[in-house]
Amino acid sequence: METKKNMSKVYTLGVDIGSTSSKCVIMSDGKTIESSAIIAKGAGTDGIDIVVKEALKKMNLKFEDFAAIVSTGYGRNSYERADKTMSELSCHAKGGHYIFGEIRTIIDIGGQDSKVLKLDASGQLQNFVMNDKCAAGTGRFLEVMSNVLHVSLEDFGKYDEQALDKLPISSTCTVFAESEVISQLAQGKDVKSIIKGIHQSIASRVAGQAKRVGVVPKVAMTGGVSRNAGIVRALEKELDTKIEVSSQSQLAGAIGAAIYAYEYYLKNQK
Amino acid sequence: MSNILPILKKFDLTKADIVKKYQKDGRKIIGCSPYHLPVELVYASGMRPMGLWGSYGEISMAKEYFPAFYCSIVQRILELSLNGTFDCLSGIMVSIQCDSLKALGQNIKRTLGKNIPYIHVAMAQHRKIDVGVDFNEVQYNKVKAQLEEISGKKIKDEDIEKAIKLYNKSKILMREFVKLAAKHPEVITPTWRSKVLTIANAMDRAEYVENLEELNNALKEKDEVPWKGLKIVTTGILTNSYSLNQIFEENKMAIVEDEVAQESRQFRTLVEENTGNPIRALAKYLGDIEGDSILFDPDKKRTDMLIEKVKETGADGIVYVQAKFCDPEEFDYPLFKKVLENEGIKLLMIETDQQMTNFEQARTSLQTFAEML
Repeated sequence: METKKNMSKVYTLGVDIGSTSSKCVIMSDGKTIESSAIIAKGAGTDGIDIVVKEALKKMNLKFEDFAAIVSTGYGRNSYERADKTMSELSCHAKGGHYIFGEIRTIIDIGGQDSKVLKLDASGQLQNFVMNDKCAAGTGRFLEVMSNVLHVSLEDFGKYDEQALDKLPISSTCTVFAESEVISQLAQGKDVKSIIKGIHQSIASRVAGQAKRVGVVPKVAMTGGVSRNAGIVRALEKELDTKIEVSSQSQLAGAIGAAIYAYEYYLKNQK
Repeated sequence: MSNILPILKKFDLTKADIVKKYQKDGRKIIGCSPYHLPVELVYASGMRPMGLWGSYGEISMAKEYFPAFYCSIVQRILELSLNGTFDCLSGIMVSIQCDSLKALGQNIKRTLGKNIPYIHVAMAQHRKIDVGVDFNEVQYNKVKAQLEEISGKKIKDEDIEKAIKLYNKSKILMREFVKLAAKHPEVITPTWRSKVLTIANAMDRAEYVENLEELNNALKEKDEVPWKGLKIVTTGILTNSYSLNQIFEENKMAIVEDEVAQESRQFRTLVEENTGNPIRALAKYLGDIEGDSILFDPDKKRTDMLIEKVKETGADGIVYVQAKFCDPEEFDYPLFKKVLENEGIKLLMIETDQQMTNFEQARTSLQTFAEML
C-alpha cells in the first residue's frame, strides 16, 4: 500500500546492512516508523538498494526528501548515501529501547556475530560484549546446521517445540558441531531433538557472553535469530529470565539508525 | 606538522632497512625475543640487538611445531626463523618468561641451532629476592660469555655501564615522548606513536636517542591544539598493527598513555647505574619491574597502574588489546576488569593475532566504544 508523504514531517532513513540480510526503516520526526523492508541479501549484494527502493516506493519518497541517512551493520561503510555511520551495537541499543521501552539487556544474534548489550534506564549503551572470532553461537552456525539437516531455518522453532528430547551438541566450534550432528544423524537420532540440542548449544554459548556483561532484566532479543522461538526458549531457560521479542526485532538496527539520523539532523540544525 | 614530519620519518623504517644498515656497517646482529632481555650486553659487545617480535603475516611452517591454539607472536618468530628471514642474524636470544617462549627457544635451538647460535636466557621466577638476583646474574654471565664467543671480543664492564646509561637515557626520552604525544595527538597519531616507540627495538640505540631528542624538542616547541576526540589508555602485549591504529584514528582516539609490553613496559623501569657490577645491575632490573603480566607479581600492581594512568591523563577509557592465546595476559584480564568496572572506568577488550588481515570485528567494537564514550 502506498502512503503519501507529508512534508511537514522530518523523514530520516536508517539502513542496516548485515552479513546475511539488509534492512531499512523510514521514520518521521525520529518517532514514527513510516515504512520498512527486509531482504535476505546482505553486505556485498544489491540487497540494500532493493529494500530502500521498496521502502521509498511505499512512501512515495525520494532520497532528497530525507533530512539525514545513517547506515549501520557489517556493510555500513559501503553505503555511499549515508551522512553518517554508526556501529550496529549502538543502533541495536537505540532501536531496542525504541521497540521495548525500558530494557536493560539486549541480546543480538546476527548472521555472523552475537552481541550482548547492557543499557542504562534511559537506553544509553553502558557496556557490551561481542562473540569471539568464531561462528559458534551465531546465525551462521544455524545456517550450517540447516544445510546438514535439510531443514529450513524457518522451521527450526517449530521443530524445537515438537522435540521429545534434547541431544547434546558441542558449543565450542561450528565445524566440530557439524560433525557431531552428522554422527547423530548417522545413528538415526531424531532431527527435532537434534535441533533442540543445537538451540541449547547456541544458548549456552550466548548466555556465557551475557553473563560477562551481567544480565539485568528486562532482557530483549534483537537480530534475525530472534525469530527462532526455539533459541529464545533455550536462552530464557539458560538465563532464567523472560526474554522479550517483537515482530520488529530484526529491524532494531535500522530503527536505531533512523533515530540516530534524526538526532544527526537536529544537531546540524543548531 | 611541517617541521615534525621529517623527524618522524626517521623512525619510519622497516627492520629490513635497519638490517641492511647494520650489515653495511659490518655489525653483527643478535635477534632478541620478548621480554626484558639484557640487550645492553649485546650493545656493549659491539653487536646490535634486533627485536624479533611484532611482525604480521601468515603462519605455515611454524605449524609443524606449534598447535593452532598457540601464541601467534611466538609462532611468527618461529615462522620467520624457518623461512630464512633471520639468516642475517649471528645469534638468537630467547627468554623463558612464559610457557610459549619456553617452547619457542627449544624449537629454534632444534631447527636453527646448527646454523645460528642459540642463546638461552633463563630467568628466575622469584626475581626480587637475593637468590633470584644471584641466579639471574649467573645466567647473564653465561649470556655474556656466549656473546663474547660470537663477537670474538671480551665485553668490558665499562662498556656494559655505557650501554646501560645509553638505554636509560633512551627510556627517559621515551617516557617524555609519551607525555608529549598526549599533548599533540593531532600530530602524533596512534600510528606514529607506535612507530616511534617500537622501532627502538631494532634501531641503533644511539641513533634512536639522537632522533628522539630532536623529535621531543620539536614537540616541546609546538603549540598545543585542543583535542576534540577521545583520550585512550592502551594495555596488552602489542598494539603495533597498522590496521588497528588506523581504526583508532578513524574513531578520533588519541593514545594518551599505554601499559603495553612492546611500549611503556620496556621503558618504565631503569637499570641502576654506577653500581660497580653492571651485570648484577641488569639482573636486579628484572626484579625492579612492576605490574608486568609476564613476570611473577603476587600483588598484581598492573590494575593500580592502569587506574593511575587514566587519572593522570584524564583518559575516557582503556582499550585492552588481548593477544590471542597469551595466557599471562588472559590471567590478568578478569582481575583488572573487575576493579576498573568498580572504579567506573570504561574498558574495551579486543582480541588480535599476528595473522589477522581483517579487523572488521575490532572496527565495530572500537566504533561502538567510541560512540559509547
